[in-house]
Amino acid sequence: MDFLEILKQKAFLGREFLTWLWFKSEQSGGRVELPGDSVVEVIFLNRMTLDLSEADTPQSVTIKGEHSELREGLAALREGKKIEETRVSLRGSLNEFTLTFKGTWLSFGSFRTPPVLPGDEAEPEDEWEASFLEKISLVEEGIGLVDLLFGHFLKLRLSPNWETLELPAIREWIAKGEPVLTGPQ
Amino acid sequence: MGFAARSVSIFRYRIKGELEGSFWDAVAEGVRKGAFREIESAGDIIATGWTSMEDFTDHSFEQAGYVRGNYVALSLRIDSVRIPSRILEIHYKKESAKLLQETGRRRLSSGQSRELKDRLKESLRHQAFPSIQVYDVVWNTAEGVVYFGQLSARARERFEDHFKKSFGLTLVPLIPYIRAQELLESDAENNQLDELKPCSFVP
Repeated sequence: MDFLEILKQKAFLGREFLTWLWFKSEQSGGRVELPGDSVVEVIFLNRMTLDLSEADTPQSVTIKGEHSELREGLAALREGKKIEETRVSLRGSLNEFTLTFKGTWLSFGSFRTPPVLPGDEAEPEDEWEASFLEKISLVEEGIGLVDLLFGHFLKLRLSPNWETLELPAIREWIAKGEPVLTGPQ
Repeated sequence: MGFAARSVSIFRYRIKGELEGSFWDAVAEGVRKGAFREIESAGDIIATGWTSMEDFTDHSFEQAGYVRGNYVALSLRIDSVRIPSRILEIHYKKESAKLLQETGRRRLSSGQSRELKDRLKESLRHQAFPSIQVYDVVWNTAEGVVYFGQLSARARERFEDHFKKSFGLTLVPLIPYIRAQELLESDAENNQLDELKPCSFVP
């Protein structure tokens, strides 16, 4: 497959990941547990776009505003839409990041890291380099959290547990609008 | 918004291909080759290329380098001028009337008309202030990953082209499927991924 074909045929992977992540966040009170006892706090913020990518004519809906997202978002999921774009807050063991996540591209908009504090280097060039290296290390830490979550999703998506446990739980959550416990995975 | 800002946009690429010879010498050569300069083009872009991330007016990298630890930190600057169509129309009407008066003809041929428009565009381009766009680029040389500070398709396309021209390396967007191939360890899992079809969440 060439790149454009992959982009078209496999775009569902990013959308399913974001939709699953929302379920996971709602199910666990925002604490997504990963193998190896690590936890990433995932909070969906007040903006989300869902679309019906498999339709002949693309249909999308954008939901904004506090507290309205659960009801309206679930209504869109019931129509078969999946999350294409969402603003989330992620916190690992060290720092918190907020970013607008695009499902098709796995790209990050308005990515906010903790502030980079001014250093005490004497030369401006050294100061700039120190700030740069601190900033990039924060950015890569944030992207690393995304990769951890995405890697966990992939393992689950390819395992038999997806069909037998995870997918029924997601469907039940969408139907009822409440989190359903799936037990340890 | 630059990389140093509190809030940044990030598009992630995997580098495909390898630099020939000494790595850092090849990087230096690529940066020199693609450094910001004026270009001849039929489009709106009048100048483009790499500048220092600290100072977009520095493209000789005399004030600051671009190597930061294992990273290459650059900006891609794109200067473009777009002549508003109505402005072009005003000048075209004025100049074509003058030309017709001089030659005593009733109308310009399509070739003359096109030539006049091109000449006017070229001369107006020198009178207009360019729009200057600066996008930050961070290359993690240890991981073979490049972060680009803009998500728009047009900017990405220009960046991918310029990176290829400068370094001879292809940038592959790390979209979910391609990142998934990297994250999954075994061939069996990758085969499963290849076969994977969308699922329905509808209850």
